[in-house]
Amino acid sequence: MALVKVSNLCKTYYKGDNKIYALRNINFDVEEGEFVSIVGKSGSGKSTLLNLLGGMDTTAEGSVSVGGVNILTMSEKQLSQYRKFTVGMIFQSFNLIPSRTAIDNVKLPLIFSNYPRRLRETRACELLYNMGLYNRALHYPSELSGGEAQRVAIARALANKPKIILADEPTGNLDTATSAEIIALLQMFNQKHHITIVMVTHDKETAGRVSHKTVLLSDGEIIKISTNPNP
Amino acid sequence: MKASDIAILAFYNLRRNTMRTILTSLGVAVGIGSLAAMISFAQGITENISLSMENNDIFTGLTATSRAIDPDDPGSSRGTNILSQNKEEVPLNDSVISGIGEWNEVAIAFPIVSKPATIQLAGRSVKASLKAVPMEMGGYPPFINITRGRFFKSADEPRVIVSRQMLQQMKILIEGESDNVGLGGDVLVLPLDSVIGKELTVVTRVFDVSKFSTANPRKNELPLSNEYTSLRIAGIIDNGAFSSGVFNSSDVFIPSKAIDYVPCIDLRSIYDIMDGKIDSKNKYGSVHVRVKEHRNLKTVKFWLEEMGLQVFSVGDKLDDIENLFLMLDSIFAAVGVIALVVSVLGIVNTLIMAIYERRKEIGIMKSLGGTQFQIKLIFYVEAAFIGFVGGVCGVAGAKLASQAASSFANTQIGKIIGCNLEFFDFSWTLALAAILFSVVVSVLASVYPANRAASIDPLDALRRE
Repeated sequence: MALVKVSNLCKTYYKGDNKIYALRNINFDVEEGEFVSIVGKSGSGKSTLLNLLGGMDTTAEGSVSVGGVNILTMSEKQLSQYRKFTVGMIFQSFNLIPSRTAIDNVKLPLIFSNYPRRLRETRACELLYNMGLYNRALHYPSELSGGEAQRVAIARALANKPKIILADEPTGNLDTATSAEIIALLQMFNQKHHITIVMVTHDKETAGRVSHKTVLLSDGEIIKISTNPNP
Repeated sequence: MKASDIAILAFYNLRRNTMRTILTSLGVAVGIGSLAAMISFAQGITENISLSMENNDIFTGLTATSRAIDPDDPGSSRGTNILSQNKEEVPLNDSVISGIGEWNEVAIAFPIVSKPATIQLAGRSVKASLKAVPMEMGGYPPFINITRGRFFKSADEPRVIVSRQMLQQMKILIEGESDNVGLGGDVLVLPLDSVIGKELTVVTRVFDVSKFSTANPRKNELPLSNEYTSLRIAGIIDNGAFSSGVFNSSDVFIPSKAIDYVPCIDLRSIYDIMDGKIDSKNKYGSVHVRVKEHRNLKTVKFWLEEMGLQVFSVGDKLDDIENLFLMLDSIFAAVGVIALVVSVLGIVNTLIMAIYERRKEIGIMKSLGGTQFQIKLIFYVEAAFIGFVGGVCGVAGAKLASQAASSFANTQIGKIIGCNLEFFDFSWTLALAAILFSVVVSVLASVYPANRAASIDPLDALRRE
């Protein structure tokens, strides 16, 4: 059984009297441990789809089943639990809290999940160490490079050991070399730790190279789903 | 999410904008401080006046002076035998007073007998009124609560009871009760043991027959001379600052029969002589009547007035006094509430500003699994912290300000009334209630901002850069 099953997903909004389809009849599965990329041009509905997968938006028709539960029908409390323990989100603009140090940013989801306080520091340090940022733990986001900030964001997303990482253009604000590092890092977590990753990107070439499955979107519709058994 | 985590997050947020937090807390402090000070002032004044009134038996005491009445049946008249046209003096004699004392509603009735005198003690002197006290008064205020010394043993015991206020007027303080604010210099502090039993001299004026031939009234020379009577102090009472009953703080009290040992010209007798009424039926000028319960006061007053007596009582004005206190409390509370409302608006403003500033942060928290309730709690705790700090500072400030104001007022008023007053009744209960109130009001003020924060759409918040 697929970990994520998207069925007949439609997302519409109105512009005046005109009904606009942000997503139209989306159907695809994500197996456990898969690396899935969603690619497409700007405005194709990639981020909208990712936000629906992440439980950040639930106003859509159809269903998004994660572990057999349709997240579109979840209550506010259930959604919080889902965002806390099932998914970890990574954003293009990192979305770190600027007034908190790197380690404090990583500890934040642990606070919301009631992770034992005495173990929080250890867990956050461990994650930062794995990201190669142990010596940057007490630095504020403004003191970090783009690549470092995104690695802190990845550490934060992994803090509660989620089943799925949802990455919304994680390399969009980074240079080529740093982008490659981040992609490699995600790939490593996918391969070594079998974390399911759904990544939104513009970069078709990278997506095709690193993903088991690439979903090509255009104007809110899936144009093509291609697979790569040995990324 | 544990309470301690929420507290840490809230504290962290407040620390981020230290100056704004301090200013908001200061606003709350001003509001709560004003309210607490106003309430403590109202309570203090009420307490002082009420205590003084109770100590002086004002709520149950009446003073009646003679007026026209049927002289043949004065004691039992109760309004039935009044001859309003009869202008004869009411014969306030022992029989009339005894009759009044036998009424069911009356606890005690006795004539008011006093003699003007100068009291000399430890080389100091003060003008006072030597007032006769019947032995029955030993069971009533202010004599029932004598903590220094004792009441009289018999009606002819040659001893006196003085008031603490009168001693303070003489700048004499009892050791260990050195509330000498406003007394100025030259204060004599004596141990209690040396005051009780100490001899004081009562100086009165009497007719001097030897001066009748030489005194020239046109040159303000009267045929009078001083008479010195030594009496020992039996006890000291505390009438309170606002004593205005039959036993005033400026009186020196002497047993009802012992007052006869002190010779003194009776000014009333001069008028009697001038009116040719030396054998007047009016033996006493006025009578003091103490009712058994306050609710009897109006009835007894009515009966006394029906007898043709002119009656004075503060007690029947109790409702007016209570209404006055209520009005005073309301005015003070209203001023404090206005200050508080302003500070509450400050809290609301601060928290709404915080929402705008932390919109994205709230979105991040929600994307990480923060629930609406947790977001609200953070804001509630922030508000509670501001309220607590503001409350503590406000109460501390109000306490200090009230002490300073009280000291200043005592330096001015203390000289006049002869003792110190606690103008502010700043109890621990009030302080704790004020802090608690501050926290509760602050949390209530945060309900709207917290709800707004909790309802932020994370998607919308994260989209905004």
